[in-house]
Amino acid sequence: MIVRQYEFWIAIRFLIKGRFQTLLILLGIAVGVAVQFFLSALIGGLQISLVERTVGTAPHILALPSDSVPINLTSSDKEIFDSRKVPFIENQEILSWQGYVSYFKSNPEVTAACAVAGGQGFIERGGSSYSVNIKGIQIEDGALIYKFSKNLKAGKAELIGDSAILGQTLVDKLQISIGDRFFIRNNKGSGDFFTVSGIVDLGSAPANTIVFLSLDRARSFLSLNGVNSIEIQIRNVFMADTLAKVFRGEFSRIKIESWQERNRELLTALRSQSSSSGIIQFFVLFSISLGIASVLGIAAVQKSRQLGILKAMGVDNRGAASIFLIQGLLLGFVGSIIGIILGYGMGVTFMKTAGTGTFDLELNTFNLISPVILAVIASGFASVIPARRASKLSPIEVIRNG
Amino acid sequence: MDDIVVVENLVRYFGDIVKTEVLRNISVSFKRGAFTAIIGPSGSGKTTFLNIISLLESPSSGKLYIDGKDFSTGDINEYSSFRNRNIGFIFQFHYLLPEFTALENILMPYWIGYGKPPVSMVKKAIRLMKEIDILNVKDKFPNQMSGGQQQRVAIARALLNEPKIVFADEPTGNLDRETGFAVLDVMRRMVKEKGTTLIMVTHDREIAIKADRILELVDGEICKSFIVKEKGEKKTRELLEDRTCVF
Repeated sequence: MIVRQYEFWIAIRFLIKGRFQTLLILLGIAVGVAVQFFLSALIGGLQISLVERTVGTAPHILALPSDSVPINLTSSDKEIFDSRKVPFIENQEILSWQGYVSYFKSNPEVTAACAVAGGQGFIERGGSSYSVNIKGIQIEDGALIYKFSKNLKAGKAELIGDSAILGQTLVDKLQISIGDRFFIRNNKGSGDFFTVSGIVDLGSAPANTIVFLSLDRARSFLSLNGVNSIEIQIRNVFMADTLAKVFRGEFSRIKIESWQERNRELLTALRSQSSSSGIIQFFVLFSISLGIASVLGIAAVQKSRQLGILKAMGVDNRGAASIFLIQGLLLGFVGSIIGIILGYGMGVTFMKTAGTGTFDLELNTFNLISPVILAVIASGFASVIPARRASKLSPIEVIRNG
Repeated sequence: MDDIVVVENLVRYFGDIVKTEVLRNISVSFKRGAFTAIIGPSGSGKTTFLNIISLLESPSSGKLYIDGKDFSTGDINEYSSFRNRNIGFIFQFHYLLPEFTALENILMPYWIGYGKPPVSMVKKAIRLMKEIDILNVKDKFPNQMSGGQQQRVAIARALLNEPKIVFADEPTGNLDRETGFAVLDVMRRMVKEKGTTLIMVTHDREIAIKADRILELVDGEICKSFIVKEKGEKKTRELLEDRTCVF
């Protein structure tokens, strides 16, 4: 629909001249959009922070040795990658891990794939013994998953010979520093000395109790022939399930788990948070629409005299309707822009006063544009009733009745 | 001079169950460029007649031709473009748009019909305002003007697009006598200069007498129809005083 200049001109003038009414409805839309924007930015930020904390420095997909149950090799129609190429039976350990790692790395979605030789151990220091997680990694792969370049607090991110990288919590507990040697006992009772080469802060307490060793050193220390997991990180964390499914179709001898499968409760919480915020936003939008419909409805009645005159002068039904549609769309657009500024202010104030500091407002293009688009669409719909009324108005009714 | 408005057997009634006939079988034509005054007592149907021939209201039956085009049937809302380009309106209550200044009100029909007025059109509107002595209210809103000024603005608005016909319904009815006559003079002068047809409803016989032709409606029928010049002022006054109908 092409808007004719006079329709726009009249619509604007009606809005300017009905200053108080216009301000009132603009405020109504702005507050609604502000709440909507604030909610989505807040919840978005919170969710991103939760996901980041859960999977930021953790694998998005884990490849594990298969459970000791029979696997039907003909379950998939496709040719199965490892049944052709891998001659070993993976049980408890992934023996032919090099093949898997290079396969995962060849997938364009995968940003890092790291074979891990993991196990439990005890650091003995003074008279005490501390339980720790041991992870043997190839430093160049592990550094990508655990973001050593970003998370390194002291020392160097290198694993050569007996060197080890320790999590911050462990370092605090053990009162240990770079260059110090410490003793770890494995679960079979034997043990060895290692040297602290780097200290990392991975953001969460469990992650910060990890002792990173070089892959080969860890394998010999834990008496492993292969590795016990392959940790994979991907570009889009929410694609993990889909990608895990793809990998599952390729391999029968290893078990593939996505972070979503390992964090069902978190996902359910995120989903219910999203849907409850969606419901709130829907009703906010609904009330905005009702507000616009009622104000424009009243305006259409108030302006019937003017509409009658305009129609007598040659404004057609479409033109009369457009005048109200334009008003609705303009109110929605301007109101939502004000609303976003207001919502941003609310967000910043909230972050300052609440002082959480643990997460940021999510201010992406979608959060910024979607309330504007939704408010404009809602305003458009809300102005349909007054627009129809205006279009049906006969000039003679006005002229006859004054 | 040819006929610009032709009406044949025009009937207008209101109500579906109980029909009240307001106009009864009217057949009349209006000459191009002439000033016709339609008079008649209250309830005689003169305003309804004016509304029908100005395409604001549909007739119940009968034929209506304006400038050679048949407007007997159809939705009057479909005639908006024709109204904009060919018809000017002046109403008793002047009906200016309160949201717009005098100049903007005058330019409004142009905006509607042709888009944003060029400088030449704005200049024309200003010239028109000067001619009818309302230039001093150019940027004023209707509520800042006197009744006479508002009615002059309405006249300028009706004439700016140089319509073929101007319909006026009691244009002086809401003004004091002196202002009323001044407004009438302006209207007569303007339509004379542009060769516009003026059809005016009035209850004021003194105003009607200034027209080229007088048409009197009584009970929805034409009671009298005569050319003022042919009858002379004295006879015209007598005819206007006479309550009997002359066919």
